[in-house]
Formats: sequence, structure tokens, C-alpha cells
Amino acid sequence: MSFKQNPLEKKAYLIVDDFGDMRSMIKNMLMACGVRDISLAINGAEALASMETRRYDVVLCDYNLGPGKDGQQVLEEAKHRHLIGLGCVFLMVTAENTREMVMGAVEYEPDSYLTKPFNKDLLKTRLEKLIAKKQDLLPVEQAMAKQNHLQAIKILDAKIAQKPPNSNELRKIKGEIWLAASETAQAREVYKTVLSIRDMPWARLGLGKTLYLDKRYAEAQEAFQTLIDHHQSYTAAYDWLAKTYKRLNQLDAAQKTLQTATKISPKAVLRQQMLGEIALQNKDDQVAEAAFTKAVKHGRHSVYRHPSNYANLAKIAAVTKKGDAGLKVLKDMKREFGKDPHAHLYMATAESVIHETMGNSKASKASLERAADIYQTLDHHTTTDCSIEMAKAYSNIGMTDKAVDLLQNTVLNNHSDEALMDEIKDAMVTMDLQEEALGSVDTIRQEIASLNKRGVELARNGKLEDAISLLEKSSEQMPGNKVVNLNTALVLLMDMERKSLSAEGVDKIRVYLERVKKVDPDNLTLNKLQNRLKSAIRTTEQEA
Amino acid sequence: MRFSDILASIIHDMKNSLGMVINTLDELVIENEYRENDKLSTLQHESKRLNNNLIALLSLYKIENEQLDANIEEISIDDFLEEIVADNQTIARTKGVRLDYQCEDALTGYFDEWLIRGVINNLIGNGLRYTSSRISIYAEMIEDYLVFNIEDDGEGFPPSMIEAQTAFNRNKSLSEGHTQLGIYFASMVARTHKNGDKEGYVKLANKQRLKGGCFSIWLP
Repeated sequence: MSFKQNPLEKKAYLIVDDFGDMRSMIKNMLMACGVRDISLAINGAEALASMETRRYDVVLCDYNLGPGKDGQQVLEEAKHRHLIGLGCVFLMVTAENTREMVMGAVEYEPDSYLTKPFNKDLLKTRLEKLIAKKQDLLPVEQAMAKQNHLQAIKILDAKIAQKPPNSNELRKIKGEIWLAASETAQAREVYKTVLSIRDMPWARLGLGKTLYLDKRYAEAQEAFQTLIDHHQSYTAAYDWLAKTYKRLNQLDAAQKTLQTATKISPKAVLRQQMLGEIALQNKDDQVAEAAFTKAVKHGRHSVYRHPSNYANLAKIAAVTKKGDAGLKVLKDMKREFGKDPHAHLYMATAESVIHETMGNSKASKASLERAADIYQTLDHHTTTDCSIEMAKAYSNIGMTDKAVDLLQNTVLNNHSDEALMDEIKDAMVTMDLQEEALGSVDTIRQEIASLNKRGVELARNGKLEDAISLLEKSSEQMPGNKVVNLNTALVLLMDMERKSLSAEGVDKIRVYLERVKKVDPDNLTLNKLQNRLKSAIRTTEQEA
Repeated sequence: MRFSDILASIIHDMKNSLGMVINTLDELVIENEYRENDKLSTLQHESKRLNNNLIALLSLYKIENEQLDANIEEISIDDFLEEIVADNQTIARTKGVRLDYQCEDALTGYFDEWLIRGVINNLIGNGLRYTSSRISIYAEMIEDYLVFNIEDDGEGFPPSMIEAQTAFNRNKSLSEGHTQLGIYFASMVARTHKNGDKEGYVKLANKQRLKGGCFSIWLP
């Protein structure tokens, strides 16, 4: 007689439920399945604290956990803070139909939903399946965590070739990987294959995303709209439609789209934030106030809590109600954020705006000075949102020069960051600043892009020295600019490969790479250059 | 608040209580080491039916309010049916009924797992009343449809029900006589499943693989 190893037994489990009877019932079920290592938590905070101290293989978390975090927020924070490993199974236990949660989720989804009531047999079958599936996909997730997209695709292709029952699920992951790597043509191929088998909404959404990334906004808009017409509660489609409308400069339509989506799932913090920001641009104070109120309320226990939502709420409250209402929001904010300098900067800028609204220029200036002091202590490459916030505060009291200066610098140092450039353009709209004031975001970007291109072309034509002097000079002007830093490192490396490696030269290259690593450690080009530098060093060592 | 909304929220609450009842009963059955106990088995069976009916009511409420479009996913049928059979095994065993399923290993389907699970649980619950010793679920592809057949070896459906079946596929109204919530629910759920211009439906027959009734759900 052979004993088959029970896959459930040797794992560590965490049960999260605010209801004692339920905790012990699930615990009994697991013990009846031969499980011994079981921890219990009565709320989200306790669950996360427990995850900080040890690694769990399986988390069984109730969605409804009373006051404090809900199950989704526990999941988001655990993933966001890497408290659970890639191989961890997260099972959300819910009281009823989970459709709204599934459709409303913005970023993270649990591995499965389990509807109450369930018995031991069902729990056992489900866990066995999930653990096996996790095991099967672990190499893909590991490759992804190392930013090795091609390796992940290779593993997936090998699996798909065996025609397993879940091949479309594998294609879904494949599509997401290509999208993350901005390989839109490849992603499109995957989604078209799926759609030729079956009309799946996520494949339509994926197809729309490829159009969006290719800047084919009119087609993307049509794709997302059609999807919504057929699947009215698919909130992710609304998010993308709103983003597309923004690119098409149809801000009213973007706002309306998000208003519908937030009606379907009011608890998604990021969606409320996006709605609030668009409503601000549309000068629709009422909608903005409601959206920021919800972003603050539902964000209180969420990893997506952001000081800007409080600051925006305070500023609007000061206008729609009166100044004191705004200052009260700031008081709450101070209590919640403690000493966090990032939050204190937002408090100071909001205070400045509110004092100005109340006609108190002197207090307004003092607050702004305090904000400027905090700003000096922050790392500007990782807190670009603070630069924009400061610019807004300066422009609010008429110090337009300062505002323009800050924004210009942010553009120079981050010109390849599409999302940030959009934020800057949005900020200029809310500040009533003409684009020309800045010398036009797009013009600056084009200049940097052509400068980069010229450098690379010079290098390609063998004029390495000219390329180096051009790019070194530019990176002096914009030390935070990723693309410029990467190109400078590249031409320096090419030059050294041709001549010989020197310790001094290697250090110089490392300075440029380090700058990029600080703002974008997962950058693909950065990884390639790091590897190329390593192998160059190795070759030199071998030759010597 | 409309009356139907109040009703729905009360049903949610009832379901939570019932969930505890069902779990406690399951524990009792295990403590009894599955020894035959008519009273326990009746309690278990009826509370499970109650739960299935509440789920049916909630889903119907949402379908009627158009809050619900089918959330179509790609599902491994073998995994899906294994879970359903596991879920209902305790109660089938206490009633002395053999419950099993058959399908090809690699069979995949496209449907709303939660809704179809509700329908099949409901049909098993009804089947347990009318069968004599066995309930089997057969899943297969017939042309472009995925078909779930829930069969038993009881007396079969009365002829009047088989004759009336075109009515509940076309009209939304309940046929007269007893409520037949199960059939109504199944046909409503089947109809939320669409693929191209095809729509899901249900079918009643007798004496297919087993000698009793056969309830089929056809999903495009």
C-alpha cells in the first residue's frame, strides 16, 4: 500500500475572521484534513501583523471583518508590502455572491472566492486545486519577479502547447506580461487567439489596452465602450474608457464614465481619487468633494491612502463650505498621518491655499514657506507628486515663475514618463496656466527626445566621443532623466568595450546606472546594461 | 428603499444564520460518524434546500433588476463537478443516495460558475427528494452547447411538466400548480448565458441514462 502525500498537511495556514464561531469552525475543518499549523487573527490589523512575523502558505480571509480593514484591503496591503510570497494561496471567504467584488477589484484579486456556507469536503477539494495550481505557475511568477519577461513567456508557451483545460487562463497571464513589457503587437496576437475561441470580456479589455498603448485612442474608446455596453458591471473597462477620454481631451466624458463606475463599486480608493482629480479639472466642485470624501473614507484603512486626497478635500471644503471646514479636514489628516513628512508637505500647501481663500495672505505665505522647507528635505526623484503640489501652491498665490520652474524641472528629469507628463498637463489646467508658459510640455519632450536620438546616432556612426560629450552635458542639465542617463551609460560602455576597461570608467558608468536604479529599479534597459557591464568586467578579468 | 430591496437584504441575513446552522449540522453528522439518523438527515436536507432556495431568490432578484449579467469564465468541468459533488456528498450519504458525476477530463466550459453552481445545487436538492438510490451528473459538449444533465433513478417527471416545458423557456411566468422555483430559476439563469446570437435553455426528459428524470441545462 502506498501513502500519497496529502498536499494540504505540511502547510502553514492563517484564518482571518472577526467571528469566533467561524474561526473555530474553519480551524476544525482544516484539522479534519490533517492540517496542524494553523494561526488565527480576529481582524485585518492582526492578520497583517501576523504576516509580518512569518510566512504563510495559505490565508483564509473573511471579506467582512467589522470595523477597520476589510478582506480586500488586507489582500492589497499584504501584496503591496510583499508580506505574502508568490506561492501563497489567498482565499477570500464571503457571505454571498462575490460578483461585485470580482468586477470591482482594481489591482489585486484573491486566488479564489469561497462562498459561505461551505463544508470540509468542499474546502479540501478547493485547497488541493489551488495549491496545485500555484505550484504549477510558481516558475512563471518567479521569472516575473525577476523581470525576466521572456523566460516567463517561454514557460507559459510550453504549458499552452500541451493544450491543458486552462489554456486561456495561461493566455491571460501571457497577454498581461506582453502588455507590461509594452509589446503591444505580441499582446494583441494573444488576445485575438482567445477571442477566436471565445468572446471573453478580459480579452476584449486587453485588446483595448493594446490600442490605448499604441495611442490609437479613437479605436480604444470604441473598444471599451462596446465592452461596457455588453458588460455593464465590468468596472475595469470604465477605468480604461475614462483614461482614453482623458487622452482625447474629453474630460466631461471621462468624469461621467468614472461616476458610473464608482456607483457600481464605491469602495475602490484609486477610482474615487481619479474621479476627484478629473472633477477638479472640470471645476465641478460638488462631484470632486464627494469623490475625495469617499477616497478619504474608504482609504483610511487602505494601502492606497494618499495625503493628496485629504489635501484636495480640505481645499474644496474651504470653498464649498467655509475655510474652517477645510482646516478641520487638515486636523484629522494630522492625527492620521503622524509625522510623515510627505503628508506634512500636503498639509502645509493645503493650508496655504485655504488661508488664501479666507483672505489671509500673510498666513498663506507662511504656510507655503513651511511647505518649501519640507520639500527641500525630500528626494525629488521619487516624490514627483510633491513637486507638482508645490507648483500648484505657488501658482495659487501668484508666484507663477516658481511654479513654472518646478514643473519645467520635473519635465526635464522625467520626460519619458507618460503618466507623469499627463499629470503635469492636468496640473497646468487646474492652475489655469497656459501650456506656453512652460514652453509646452511636448516641445520640451521632443527636444530631449531628439537630443537623445542624436547622441545614439553619433555613437552608431562611430563618433563615440561626440556622443559622449553631448550626452554627458545633457545629463548634467537633467540628472534625474532616465533615458539620458541610460544613453550616457550606454555610450560610455561602448567606448570602453572598444578601448579598454578602467576602474574610473566603470565607476562613472555606475553613477549613471545608480541614478536610474533609484527611480526605476525594474527598468528593462537598466537590467540589460547592468548585465552588459558585468560581462565586460568579467571578460577583462579573464583576459588579465 | 423599495420593498424588493428590503426583501433582498433580509434574505442576505437569513442566509448568514442558515450558513451557521448548516455547518453545525455537518459537524454533528461527522461526530455521529455518518451513522444513519433520520432526524439529522431531514434537518440537513431541509436546511440545505432552504439555503439553495434563498440563493435562487437572490439571483432572481438580481436578474430581474438587471444588476446581474453572467460573469463568464473558462472553467474546468471536472474540477467544477468534483467540488459540487464534494459539497453535497455528506447529505447524499446520510440519505443513502449515491451521488456521482461523469465528464471527459479535459472538458472546459464557459459559464458563470456561481450561478450554475446555484442551479445544480438546487437540482440535486430536489433530486434527493424524488430519487430512489442514485443521482448522476453528466456533462458533455453537444454541437456548440455545453450540456449538464442531472439524472436520477426515481419515478421521473410527470407528463404534465414535460409538456409544459416550452412555456418556461419562452415566457418568464411560472407555470401554475406548485411554484417550481427550481425550474424557473434554472431557465432564467440559462438565459443569461449568451454566445453570439445563441441563448441558454433547459430541457426536461425521462429515462435517459438512468431510469428516472433528466434535467438538462444547455449553455452556448
